[in-house]
Amino acid sequence: MSGWRIVSGQTLHHRCWDGMAVLYNDLSGATHQLSEQALALLLDLRDDLLSSDDLADPALADLLDNLRSLDLIEARMAPGIEPV
Amino acid sequence: MNDVPLLLQALRRPALVVTLDDAAWDLLLRQAGAANLMATLGHLLDEHGLFARVPARPREHLDWAGMLARRHRQAVRWEVRLIRQALDGLGIPVLLLKGAAYSITGLPPGRGRLFSDIDILVPEARLAEAEAALMLAGWAATHHDAYDQRYYREWMHELPPMQHLRRESMIDVHHAILPKTASARPDSALLRAASLPVAGEPEVRVLAPADMLLHSAVHLFSDGEYRNGLRDLVDIHRLLEHFGTDARFWAQLVPRARQLELTRPLFYALRYAAMLLGTNVPAGVTDELADAAPAPTLLALMDALFRRALLPEHDSCGDWLSPLARFLLYVRGNWLRMPPLLLARHLFHKATLSLRKPRQEAA
Amino acid sequence: MTAVASLSPAQLRAALAGPGLTLGTGRFTTRLHSPIASVADSIGLLYADYPLLDDTAFADFHLQLTRPLTHRRWLKPQVTLLYDGRSLFRPLPLDQAYPMFEWGLNWCVSSRANRYLIVHAAVVEKNGRAAILPAPPGSGKSTLCAALVGRGGWRLLSDELTMVRLDDGLLVPLPRPVSLKNGAIDVIRAYVPDATLSPPVTDTVKGTVAHMKAPGTSVARAGETALPGWVIFPRYQAGAELTAQPLARADTFMELAANCFNYSLLAAAGFEALAGVVESAPGWRFTYSVLDEALAFFDGLARS
Repeated sequence: MSGWRIVSGQTLHHRCWDGMAVLYNDLSGATHQLSEQALALLLDLRDDLLSSDDLADPALADLLDNLRSLDLIEARMAPGIEPV
Repeated sequence: MNDVPLLLQALRRPALVVTLDDAAWDLLLRQAGAANLMATLGHLLDEHGLFARVPARPREHLDWAGMLARRHRQAVRWEVRLIRQALDGLGIPVLLLKGAAYSITGLPPGRGRLFSDIDILVPEARLAEAEAALMLAGWAATHHDAYDQRYYREWMHELPPMQHLRRESMIDVHHAILPKTASARPDSALLRAASLPVAGEPEVRVLAPADMLLHSAVHLFSDGEYRNGLRDLVDIHRLLEHFGTDARFWAQLVPRARQLELTRPLFYALRYAAMLLGTNVPAGVTDELADAAPAPTLLALMDALFRRALLPEHDSCGDWLSPLARFLLYVRGNWLRMPPLLLARHLFHKATLSLRKPRQEAA
Repeated sequence: MTAVASLSPAQLRAALAGPGLTLGTGRFTTRLHSPIASVADSIGLLYADYPLLDDTAFADFHLQLTRPLTHRRWLKPQVTLLYDGRSLFRPLPLDQAYPMFEWGLNWCVSSRANRYLIVHAAVVEKNGRAAILPAPPGSGKSTLCAALVGRGGWRLLSDELTMVRLDDGLLVPLPRPVSLKNGAIDVIRAYVPDATLSPPVTDTVKGTVAHMKAPGTSVARAGETALPGWVIFPRYQAGAELTAQPLARADTFMELAANCFNYSLLAAAGFEALAGVVESAPGWRFTYSVLDEALAFFDGLARS
C-alpha cells in the first residue's frame, strides 16, 4: 500500500492541553485521548501534508497502527485503486 | 370510540399546532412519546416551517428527541459501514431493510427515527457464511435456548438476532420477508434482483420503491406487535407520499404485489393509511386492488381491530376495547406467520418457559 | 406564586391521589400522581417551598407511583413507578416509594434532557462560580454537598445532576432534596443540626437512604445559572490529611466524560460542551476526612 489517509467523511473535533489531546470522531461517535504528537500526525494526514516517504518511517509504524485500530485512519492505495 | 387523537390530527394537518394551548401541547407530546413519534413530529413541523412557532417548553422536548434521533442516525451509518466491512470478502451486498434503509437513503421515514436493530436481507444459501463472517467481526448469537434457535432458523425467516460484543448493537439477518411457515411466499430472489444501489455507499443496497412499500406493509399487517404500529403506518404514509409523485410507482404497485403474493397486506396498508393519516391513494389503484379485500364481515372486524391497535398506546387514545384489539391482532400475527400446530407449540412453550425461569419483572 | 406549603396535608394527599400535583422543580415541571401516603408526606416536608402549578400547565415529566395489583399486594406491599402510564422499572418495597420518586425524576432528566450535557455530579456555587463534584457512589460526595450547602453557605444547584447547557456552557440549577446514604445521614444530622430530613428508608439497593431538604435560598434562586469554576473529584478517607492535587485538563476531560449520563448521546455538541467546562474549570483530586477542613478549602477556592 502506498500510504494512509484519515477515514473518509470524518470531521474531527479536538483540543490540546499541556501536551495531551482529546479527540472526537464524528463518524464512529468515539472519543479518544491522544498524545500531542498523535494528534499532530492525524491532522497532517487530514491536510495531506505527509509524503509516502514520511509515512514509511518505521518510527511511525506503531502510531499509525494504533490510529487505524481506532478507526481514525485507513489504508490508501495508489491513486485509482480503492481499498477493499 | 374517542375522538380522533390529537397526535393523528397533528400528523394529518400540522398547521393546527399553532392553535394549541399548554394543556393541549402537554397531551400531544405525551401521545407522541407513547407512539415513539416525538422526533418525527418535530421533523414534520420543521418541514412545514412551523417549528419556530412552537412554544418554548414543548419545543425543547422536540429538540431533545431530535438530538436522540441524530445520534441514532450516526450510529446506524457507522454500523452499516462495519457490517459492510464484515461481509466484504464474501461478495454479499448488504441489502438493508426497514429503518436502516430509510436512514441511509435519506427517505422521509428515516428522519427522526430511532433504531433498535439493523435488518439485512441475504440469500438463504449464504446465510451460514454471513453468520460466520459477522461472528468473526464481533457479533455474537443471542437466544441460546434450543427452541428459540429453531423458531428463528427453521420457522421464521432469519437468524436469531445477533448482538455485537463491544458495541452492543443488534443485527437481524433475514433471508426472506415472511417466514417459511407463512402461507404467502414472496420470492426473495425477485426482491434482491430489483434492489437498488445507494449513492455514496459502496456495496450497500436497498429494496426498490414498490418492494420497500410492500415490505413495510407486510411487516405491519402480518406481524403481531403494534407498539410501533402508528410509527410503522406513518412510514407507509411517508413512503407513499414520497414515491407517489411518480405515476409509474402507482402503476407498478399492484402488479408487483400480486407477483409477490402480498395484495392483502397492501390492501390494508392503503386503506388504513388513507383512513387514519389521510394519504392520497389514486382511485384507480384502490379499484385495481378491490379483489384483494377480505369478505365484508371480516373487513368490518379488521377495521374495528386496526382502528384501535394503530393508535398510540396511551390512556387518552382508543377505548376499553383497545387492549382486546391488540391481543387479538397479536394472535392473528402469530397465526399468519405459523400454522396452527406450530402456533400452539410456540405459545405453549413461551408460557411454560416463563413459569420455569425466575419471574422477571417488567424492565 | 403558590407553594406546596399552601396545601394542608389532607389537601396534598387528595391532590396527589386524584388529579395529580404539578410541581415546579427548578428548570422542569413534574406532574405527579400517587395514592401512597408516604409520598405525600415527604413531598409536603421536603418540597414545601417549591412552586405549585395549575393542572393545565405544560408538564415536562409525568410520573405515577402506584401500588401494583399483584398477589403480593398484602403480604409484601410494593410500589411501582410509571412514566405516563408505562412501567419502566421493577417494583420496590412500598416503604421506598418516596426515594423511588427521587430516583425516577433523576432518571427522567438524565435520560431525556438532551439539551444539556448531564454529569453525574453534585454542583454548588459561591461568589458566581460553581464547583462540580463528580464521584462514584461511596466517595462521600453527597455528604460533602450537604455540608457545603447546609453549613458552608454554598448555593445548591443539584446533588446528582450537573446540567451544562449546550447553547452557552452555563450550569442550569435543579435544586432538589439532597440524597444521603447510610453513615452520611448521622454525620449530617450532627453537622447541620437544623437540616430537615425525610424519615430514613432501610434496605434499598443503596443501603439506608434519607433526603435533606434543599435550603430555601437555593430553591428561590433556581432560575439563576452559574459559571463552571472548578471540577473537584472528592474522596472521603477516614483519618486522611486533606490533599488537593491538580489534574491535567485532558485527564479531567476524560474522567468527566466517564461520569456523564449522556456524553455519547450528544455527539459533537457534547464534546464541545465538555471542552468548554474543562477550559473554564481546572480539575482537582481531593481527599479529606474532616468536614471543617474540606469546607475551608472550598472557601479558599471561592475567594481566589
